[in-house]
Amino acid sequence: MTMESTSRLQKILSSGEFAVTAECGPPRGVDPEIIRKKGELLKGCVDAVNVTDNQTAIVRMSSIAACAHLVDMGLEPVMQMVTRDRNRIALQSDIMGAYSLGIKNILCLTGDHQTFGSQPDALNVFDIDSMNLVRTVKTMREEGRDMSGFELKGSPKMFIGAAANPFADPFEYRIIRLAKKIDAGADFIQTQCVYNLDRFKQWMKMAVDEGLTEKVHILAGVTPMKSAGMARYMAKRVAGMDVPENLIQRMGGVAKEKAPEEGLKICLETIAELREMEGVHGIHLMAIEWEEVVGEIVAGAGLMPRP
Amino acid sequence: MIVAEQKPMAEIKELVAPYKKVLILGCGTCVKTCFAGGEDEVAVMASALRLAFKVDGKEIHVEEQTVERQCEDEFIQESAPAIARNEAVLSLACGAGVQAMARRFKSTPLLPGVNTTFIGVLEKPGLFTEECSGCGDCKLAVFGGICPFTRCAKKLLNGPCGGSQNGKCEVSAETDCAWHLIIERLTALGQMDNLRTYIPPKNWRASLAAGPRRLFREDHVI
Amino acid sequence: MRNGSKVKVTVFHCINVFSEGDSRLAAKGENVELKFVRLPCSSLVKDVFLLRAFEAGADAVVVLVCPEGACRYVEGNLRAKKRVQWVRSLLDEIGMDGNRLALFNLPPGDSSDAKPIIQKVLAQIGTTPQAELSDRPPAGQA
Repeated sequence: MTMESTSRLQKILSSGEFAVTAECGPPRGVDPEIIRKKGELLKGCVDAVNVTDNQTAIVRMSSIAACAHLVDMGLEPVMQMVTRDRNRIALQSDIMGAYSLGIKNILCLTGDHQTFGSQPDALNVFDIDSMNLVRTVKTMREEGRDMSGFELKGSPKMFIGAAANPFADPFEYRIIRLAKKIDAGADFIQTQCVYNLDRFKQWMKMAVDEGLTEKVHILAGVTPMKSAGMARYMAKRVAGMDVPENLIQRMGGVAKEKAPEEGLKICLETIAELREMEGVHGIHLMAIEWEEVVGEIVAGAGLMPRP
Repeated sequence: MIVAEQKPMAEIKELVAPYKKVLILGCGTCVKTCFAGGEDEVAVMASALRLAFKVDGKEIHVEEQTVERQCEDEFIQESAPAIARNEAVLSLACGAGVQAMARRFKSTPLLPGVNTTFIGVLEKPGLFTEECSGCGDCKLAVFGGICPFTRCAKKLLNGPCGGSQNGKCEVSAETDCAWHLIIERLTALGQMDNLRTYIPPKNWRASLAAGPRRLFREDHVI
Repeated sequence: MRNGSKVKVTVFHCINVFSEGDSRLAAKGENVELKFVRLPCSSLVKDVFLLRAFEAGADAVVVLVCPEGACRYVEGNLRAKKRVQWVRSLLDEIGMDGNRLALFNLPPGDSSDAKPIIQKVLAQIGTTPQAELSDRPPAGQA
């Protein structure tokens, strides 16, 4: 890892501190107040805030603009960028634009397929894949050149993130892909939501054995469940999610109004286990449309105050 | 037809380099018509490869065969004995043919000898042009039988861009402006009103954007 | 050229240029082997025949055709020219040197008219190692 960016998230991770990031979805509309409200809820209890990029292929306010609103509030955003909607020309242009607005972290993603979204007739772009997006940002940062080799006037010193899903198949391949992303230039990794701790442990062990955790900061994804229905939905309907049956049972085993409480309990237990795992350098809290609970989780996990 | 062109020899040499016995398998349908992978091209490829390896001081044993259609299992079965005698297959069929072969012959490496380029027509001797993108939602009736989606570099559906001059595309002076052709044709057909019709954004689900497509014909299944 | 062994040249010719080849055209001693392939029209030199001549051991292949505009079948010699050009590029691609293959236009007559051409070809491959025959005129020029 090179100390090239000016991101606070990078400083925290480099110092060996256990990092906490959270997620913030932009609205399906133009009101920046919605972003600011979410930002207020997260301020002080997380180190950086991921802003999704038209997640689940539903049109929303752009990640870049929502990030800029958070920067104005003094929060540090992690701009998510998917390769589904923009070709390499637009991607590079937006990376430079984002940095000029004070956005210092980027999470490079392929993106959910548009057939799952609200406009399935849309054309997907996928000009480059997330691996190449990581490499592109890295080249822009380290060499100050765009993909054509053109020397830029100033380069985006971004802290580069990528995603990993330890629960997708084929399992053995997942580590190869992780290593490839690190080679491409990923400084940090945010994983898919961890519910199946056994499998995650196995994956982390493989990453440690391969020496990958020496090269990259892994932030384990955590999502508190609100209801048994949500647990079942994620288990059955969300591609690449692994929710073990015992957790679904646990969520279903309490009265409906007690379910959120149970979900938070599971979440805190998970975080406690994750903190003990070698190579896990932080957590990424994805409290989907439940941002108000983030502070409670971070405090409950004993991770307050934030540096 | 599917139009393809042979890969450069340097690339082919690299592909076959790990093998000592290679079957060059042609296809007698589309790629034969566009001079990329029929019987004649198989013979030339075989001879050229033998010479190329001789120049490099290496040995290669090349066998030649051409089947009627590599994209149909019924036709590729006849290549089984030849495949058994060789270590790899250099297929001169289109990408569909190569994959149909890979599906049938699970343990034989399949090397593509051509680049599959497009669905097109023979415009005049020696010139093949792209005419169809296989988008799954044909609107040729509105456009007078000329596909702007395939033949306009910007895929414009509601008229030409500002870069067309003298009937040629701004991207390449060798390419006709599809919209110029459409306008000529609709004029001749007396259907100029079509040009006033608003064409909504394309439904890309019917094309490759929603993943590889399938066509299932229930009436052909017993 | 290879010491001791014979230099081999295969001559494809249209029978309207001359009907019978004469191996004495070489006239350079026993070290040369000329092979003639008669064609009813030069357009019949398929690419694979040219390649196979090399495979059979030819050091050079010469295609002799009628003058342009004088083909009995109108465009046969033009087709031969195009094909020779394509095979020359293929030979270059595989590292064989396309200059080993050349096409010359000759007025109808007897094979003695081909003598200077064959002498010239021999002079070049006789004095230079296989890979270099680069000063040869391009195909189509006598």
